[in-house]
Amino acid sequence: MEIEIPAEALTLIGVEKQVEYEVIKRDIKRFAQAIGDHNPLYYDEDYAMTTKYKTIVAPPLFCHAFAFEDVPIENLQADGSPKEIDVPLPAKKMVGGASVFENYIRIKPGDKILVKAKIKDIYAKRGKSGELYFIVLETCFYNQANELAAKETATFVKRI
Amino acid sequence: MKNSPPEWDRIEIGTKLGELVKKPDSRQIFMFSAITWNRHAIHYDRQRALSEGLPNVVVQRALIGNFFAQFLEQWIEANGDILRLEWKVVRSAIPGDTLTCHGAVSKKHMEREKKLVTCEIEMTNQNSEYIASGEATLIFDS
Repeated sequence: MEIEIPAEALTLIGVEKQVEYEVIKRDIKRFAQAIGDHNPLYYDEDYAMTTKYKTIVAPPLFCHAFAFEDVPIENLQADGSPKEIDVPLPAKKMVGGASVFENYIRIKPGDKILVKAKIKDIYAKRGKSGELYFIVLETCFYNQANELAAKETATFVKRI
Repeated sequence: MKNSPPEWDRIEIGTKLGELVKKPDSRQIFMFSAITWNRHAIHYDRQRALSEGLPNVVVQRALIGNFFAQFLEQWIEANGDILRLEWKVVRSAIPGDTLTCHGAVSKKHMEREKKLVTCEIEMTNQNSEYIASGEATLIFDS
């Protein structure tokens, strides 16, 4: 039997949210430190000048730095999970997850990134330990020239 | 470890990408949550993580993706860029784990005169259990 998705969850599909961020060198450096990548391309301008990029650039998945909406903490769910996946489903616990990240233009300091995020799909499957709910979130990152710099399609999995 | 950046012409199906070993600890998980403004408690509140049936605070899906990106960049060096990276987390990675990225070339192809290589990638822990697997497409500079 098919698992029913609550109607109030389905209404969230396709609702787009937008937010804009400016990329600064400090955040690129901190992001590289957080992922444990010591490549000087991410913080040393003199070194970066010797590379094909001729400037500091960000690590390939740097757009993760602004993938989540910066709402006040009181606006998050009790478990602090991202607002983007605040969907009324009969499942609360997050498990696993998957992602497809497409990278078209390398992000660099000074870029102004417009983030457009929307839920593409919500579906459910019966797993070994019960029902699993899937939330597919599509996030597009446009630069100041309105070019698609990167796109992520992330699947979040929740169980009861 | 490899000796020189891979050249597209010399890459073959099955060419290994070397390996990258990462040992995430709770500080790194915290730092990644901070820089991505991810306030999900399962990444810093052990009790909360345990109450959800997790073995400890867990490494973020996105941080695992970034480990894969680092692994691919370590292989391709300055000869190209990551065009597409797909990964699926199948088991929780926790502080103290030793995570090893492996991979091999599965396809070599041209698209719109661009030199592309597709690779199968995987990440295992110290017990040889699969943490994540996926596929990446790399674009080589001509």
